[in-house]
Amino acid sequence: MKALLRNPACLIGVLLVVLHLVVAIGAPWVAPYAPTSLLDAPLEPPSATYWLGTDDLGRDAFSRLLWGGRVAMLVAFAAGIIAVIGGAVLGLSAAFMRGAFDDCMLRLVEMKLAVPTILFVAIFVTGFGQSIPILILAIGIIQMMGVIRTTRAAGIVLMEQGYVRAAQLNGESGPKIILRELLPNVADLMAVEFALRASSALLLVSALSFLGLGISPPTPDWGLMVEDAMALLDSEPHLVLAPALAISTLVLGINLAAEGLAEALGLDAARGGASG
Amino acid sequence: MRPVGAPVVEPLLSVRGLNISWFSQQGRRNHVVNEVSFDLASGETLGIAGESGSGKSTLARALLGHARGGSRIESGSILLGGRDLVSLAPKALAELRGRDVAMVPQNPLSSLTFHLRVGAQVEEVLRHRAGLSPKAASLRSLELLTEMGLSEPEKLAQRYPHQLSGGQRQRVVLACALACDPALLVLDEPTTALDKTTEAQVLELIQRLRRARRGAMVLVTHDLNVIAEICDRVMVMQHGKVVEEGPVQQVFGAPAQPYTRLLLGSALRVDGASEAQPCSHGSTLLEGAGLGFSYARPSLLLRRASTPTPTLTDINFSLGRGEVLGVIGESGSGKTTLGGLVTGFLAPERGVLRFDGAALAGRAGARSIEHRRRIQMVFQDPLSSLNPRRRVGDQVARPMRLFHGLDKRKAEARTVQLFDELGLNADLLTRFPRQLSGGQQQRVAIARAFAAEPDLLVCDEITSALDASVQAQLLDQLAAMQRRAGTALLLITHDLTVIWRMASRVIVMRSGCILEQGETNAVFRTPSNPYTAALLDAATRATRVAEPAFAGV
Repeated sequence: MKALLRNPACLIGVLLVVLHLVVAIGAPWVAPYAPTSLLDAPLEPPSATYWLGTDDLGRDAFSRLLWGGRVAMLVAFAAGIIAVIGGAVLGLSAAFMRGAFDDCMLRLVEMKLAVPTILFVAIFVTGFGQSIPILILAIGIIQMMGVIRTTRAAGIVLMEQGYVRAAQLNGESGPKIILRELLPNVADLMAVEFALRASSALLLVSALSFLGLGISPPTPDWGLMVEDAMALLDSEPHLVLAPALAISTLVLGINLAAEGLAEALGLDAARGGASG
Repeated sequence: MRPVGAPVVEPLLSVRGLNISWFSQQGRRNHVVNEVSFDLASGETLGIAGESGSGKSTLARALLGHARGGSRIESGSILLGGRDLVSLAPKALAELRGRDVAMVPQNPLSSLTFHLRVGAQVEEVLRHRAGLSPKAASLRSLELLTEMGLSEPEKLAQRYPHQLSGGQRQRVVLACALACDPALLVLDEPTTALDKTTEAQVLELIQRLRRARRGAMVLVTHDLNVIAEICDRVMVMQHGKVVEEGPVQQVFGAPAQPYTRLLLGSALRVDGASEAQPCSHGSTLLEGAGLGFSYARPSLLLRRASTPTPTLTDINFSLGRGEVLGVIGESGSGKTTLGGLVTGFLAPERGVLRFDGAALAGRAGARSIEHRRRIQMVFQDPLSSLNPRRRVGDQVARPMRLFHGLDKRKAEARTVQLFDELGLNADLLTRFPRQLSGGQQQRVAIARAFAAEPDLLVCDEITSALDASVQAQLLDQLAAMQRRAGTALLLITHDLTVIWRMASRVIVMRSGCILEQGETNAVFRTPSNPYTAALLDAATRATRVAEPAFAGV
């Protein structure tokens, strides 16, 4: 932890994430107006009353900005948890069993590479209905593929270790070996994967909202805010820039923190950051 | 050695008060070489002996003016022919290397460039270091390869490193190192990566070169037998410091320091009877008949096997109750595969294993739970044989709960008892493996194996990752445990000393076959196979060098 905070880039990352979390959790108390209340003053310029002005429906942009990360972050973190836990169990099982199950997992991972992520989630959401749980599930599944790949690779190395062999020779059951001997030894990898998957999921959910496939109005959301204000980009650029900046600082923060974490844990930091 | 009364000549190499430190990423300083001083005259050969971590390789690199990444030569001087390598500019230093001082590193495969023909690599040194014309370099390189004892040098020079055998590669590296006839040749574990037969040939070559050349040689190795064969003088290092230095015969014959005695104690001395007590209780516990195994699978895509894999052919042996059976062999002899068959990590392709009268299924998964309990294993690398994320006490208790159904409290009490028998403090129970020393880790692994109360324990090179001092202690404790519990041991190792100390009977393996087996005393005293005799000869040089009969060699 100390080594984590000594790394300046990582420290900035952690601070950015903490700031975003505090704002998102505290939004109901901090925000000057309710995010959905129509104030009868559309397209006000930024002023002391409306810090970032109001949008075309007369809602306070600053309040919406504070509220706008809540759902996206919830989706991103929930999807990250699903991806990491599911991915680790499947990846380690593949490493443990090899054979046909391993082949299936590898083909699944390769299929993900062939299908554009947005397309997969869009089809999933269209098929199962546009709701937050479905969105979490869809993003979680698609992010899981990368976790399967990394944990499987780590698991294969672990399978050669003496303690795993000893457990196998003693006839320990498969689930016991996976849970006792393998899983604890990929915990640090899972922590880093969680951070990377969560940041990638955040970008994805914002992009989906922007496309109208993610979070539905009137819920305040950064992706939606960018989409709403796109038409006003010429006259009111701050209405696009503010939520865009919020998304990018959070993604940047998570990635910096993850990289620092990976470095502190001695993992390969060049795993590549989030991709939309 | 300088004869007494000879005029004092300026030594070729003079190291004074050398200190090298290594800095960890957290900035912690680690003294790797501590106040080392020595002289070396032309024509002399100095052996630097020590265990891993003693700083001997760091010292060897410093003789070329090189410090590994993260380390720094802090003080002292290394005078080579009057010039101080420590303060020399990088450019001058680079010119010096290869010309005045050259090095032969341990692994010949990684010290040759894999995509260049070996002839070209020798020529490169001759052209850029000795300034020869391409034509002259080509001729000289063939001469050098011939001098290194390589037949058909023209053909060989056209090959790539991976097409040569390990011994040939090391000869090519020697040719590169000697291309400019350097005054000082530094050899860092030059034969460690080779098998014993090749090692003997390469040592013979080094010995011949040493006599033919006037230059000095520094040979770094952990193997005292190699030093006994090649060197005039020996310097024993521990924790970066020089423990003892002097003529080989004197140091090996009458070591003044306890550490030197300890190192020599781990060298084989076949006199008196083997210390191992024959404690066969009559009945046969394990029997292998006509065992065969091969890793190479017939493949439709690859017409030839990519690498020669260790294969077992027609292995017959038996092991009595409570007996210690040693298996000697070099890497690739199939000894580890044999251990794998016994523990059930691999299934034999041919032949049968009988355990206590009953046929033993191939894979551990197919064996009865009783069979799995009664055959346990201890691995080579102590750290990787323990789960880094679980407390060692829990790991030792696990087999008791699995096989004997002990409840938590009983298992814990039994673990404390096992720890005590192995000389481990009960405080260590709650530690994680990384918080233990290598010797402690291996004892925990032994405790875990004994926790199942096995009848047979397969030990695969269990001491090779440990320091000499720890090795001796561990073997004593294992022997005591084994005798108390009446457990039979299958002791797989390349180290003849371990066999001599522990095993009442021995199997000698090579290329997947049993060459010889019998009572350890008989096999070691009157080996019936030339290969066994060569192994014994190589392993006993350090202890024979002190004897008068050996002095002339």
